[in-house]
Amino acid sequence: MKWRRRVAVIGTGQTEHTRKRDDVSQQELVREAARRALADAEMTPGDIDAVVLANMELFEGRALPELWCAEGAAGAGKPVLKIATGGTSGTSGAIAGALQVASGMFDTVLVVGFEKQSEGQTAAGMALTDPMWDRHVASAAIGNFALSISQYMAERGVTQEQAAKVAVKARRNAARNPYAHLQQPGLTVEQVLASSVLAWPIHMLEMCPTSDGACALVYAAEEVARRRCPRPAWVRAAATRHDHPYIGDLDRRLVTMRTLRDAAREAYAQAGVTEPLEQFDVAEIYEPVSYAELAWYEALGFCKEGEAGRLIEDGVTAMDGQLPVNPSGGVLSTNPIGASGVIRTAEAALQLHGKGGQRQVPGARLALVTGYGVYAWSDVLILSSDPG
Amino acid sequence: MPQPLLRVRASLDLTWHYAAGSHFTRFFEALRDDGLILALRCPACRRVYLPPRPVCGNCFRRMEEWVPVGPQGTLRAFTVVHFPFLDPTTGQPRPVPFGMGLIQLDGADTTLNHYLDETDLGRLELGLRVEAVLREPRQGDMGDIRLFRVLRP
Amino acid sequence: MSEPLVFPGSITIPFSYAAGAAASRFLVALRDERRILGTRCSSCKKVLVPARSFCAGCWEDTGDWIEVGPEGALVSWTTVHLPLPHLPPPPVTLGLLRLDGADTDLLHAIGGDSRRLERGLRLRPVWREARSGSLLDIAHFAPIT
Repeated sequence: MKWRRRVAVIGTGQTEHTRKRDDVSQQELVREAARRALADAEMTPGDIDAVVLANMELFEGRALPELWCAEGAAGAGKPVLKIATGGTSGTSGAIAGALQVASGMFDTVLVVGFEKQSEGQTAAGMALTDPMWDRHVASAAIGNFALSISQYMAERGVTQEQAAKVAVKARRNAARNPYAHLQQPGLTVEQVLASSVLAWPIHMLEMCPTSDGACALVYAAEEVARRRCPRPAWVRAAATRHDHPYIGDLDRRLVTMRTLRDAAREAYAQAGVTEPLEQFDVAEIYEPVSYAELAWYEALGFCKEGEAGRLIEDGVTAMDGQLPVNPSGGVLSTNPIGASGVIRTAEAALQLHGKGGQRQVPGARLALVTGYGVYAWSDVLILSSDPG
Repeated sequence: MPQPLLRVRASLDLTWHYAAGSHFTRFFEALRDDGLILALRCPACRRVYLPPRPVCGNCFRRMEEWVPVGPQGTLRAFTVVHFPFLDPTTGQPRPVPFGMGLIQLDGADTTLNHYLDETDLGRLELGLRVEAVLREPRQGDMGDIRLFRVLRP
Repeated sequence: MSEPLVFPGSITIPFSYAAGAAASRFLVALRDERRILGTRCSSCKKVLVPARSFCAGCWEDTGDWIEVGPEGALVSWTTVHLPLPHLPPPPVTLGLLRLDGADTDLLHAIGGDSRRLERGLRLRPVWREARSGSLLDIAHFAPIT
């Protein structure tokens, strides 16, 4: 894939993510994030050419969010596109928005991802899988991850303690992010392993929450970005891979994780990354459960197969490590599903904007973003302070 | 005076009629009438798929070669679930705990996601031999395979 | 080939939608006071009904809360003869009406003889005895006789 013209993120905004927002309707939640992103970019609704909305409408039982929430995203009278790709909705939306600008058809695009899970029954929505062979055993993300984790533990030797360390890192990072849902600055490995087992070996405290929240970002074409933004976050790569729909067809999903490997390989080639651990300054990766982050270290080439446990134990991915992973607290701390992928992209962008506050990685100039969805879909984006 | 914040409650009752298609019709009839588990082999890559589906996802070739598989197989992944998920077929939470696994039936190249009869983690490990337990009488849907029984020597 | 199989499936999913502060205030006024409220856009000054927290045209917050109606004028209508979910049994007449003081139209059921409806006809709300904080706290709008 060859980029026709340069695109940058010039503004981000998000809501304070939480379990339940009784005070706003879904559309008002969208507007909160959209306003903050436009304010960050110092733009008005009239400056936006097109809108992308990312949301899994079935989870809230409200068909056509691109209809009912378009106004909240300043979309009335504009082209509005909805993206619903499970957990990757947000990163798919982020990629779609970037491609819209890169195509030359639009100079500015607003992307808003959102979910108001307190209004619905996410587990019921997720149970609407293939009615022939999957629905009678549907055990949602937790059960499916648990199955894959049994294979991953056996082949790669990660331990429950190492997985718990991922959760501790996430929740402690979240405590320095004013927008994160679960902020637990004092969380310990012992507490994680003592929490109730959801589906072996996944404990409650190492699984993502369900959240109400929205996140927005503003893309601009090069000419607009240079005029309006002192430190644009340039999109240097975007790649997506989907795979077989049925968990039993995937070859030991977390072990091989071919979608993330292939998407990363393509994105790294686009951006000229050959040594990810050395070259990236920060990574916001989509980790629904602690073990997934370990598997992603290997799939993303941060380390050799079997070494992910060592990486977390040596603190390589801690805030003061060689490559801080998820300064925001990640999906493990905040998960409004349609927003989560936009949050990864926005958190990476604001690191490059120098707006990370207490979670800022000093001098960050190259950021990795990943999205994960359904059984094995993967998105990868790379943002840089260097337009390339 | 604090503003009341209302919640509008609505219940969505969804009903569908799903067409099984020719492949699943054949699969469920063999299960119901003969107690046989049938899989499909790709003419190009020779991979045997269970559950069966019309096209091989890797080769994009139609599959017509039916192959009986099982009823025994090998456990390739497992978990014990404690979270009471909503069972979409009943609308009620599933009783917990229950065992689940990915089972590679003898003769198949893919694994089948299904229930196990074991909930004791100390007695579960990769590589165990299992056998399909069928529902009686059989009705012609995936519930005809009730669960997989761990074969103990 | 034998008869293709068709599987029935059904699921009931309960939802609980947050109305938000603005819509809550509108619905509570219907339930507790039998008043219909609109909000005025702080920029274009239009009075929006039902009341809402922002004006979509201007993308600005609304400011003042204004009581509108209770009477209004019929703008357009149709009579539905198909049985549709969530509507009363047919025939049902639905209409757009401009309540006095409002700058937007409200969609609601219109009672009375549908053959006597005409554009501009004056209507008034018919309130239910038992109200719950819903647009249906108004059973329908009826011509003023």
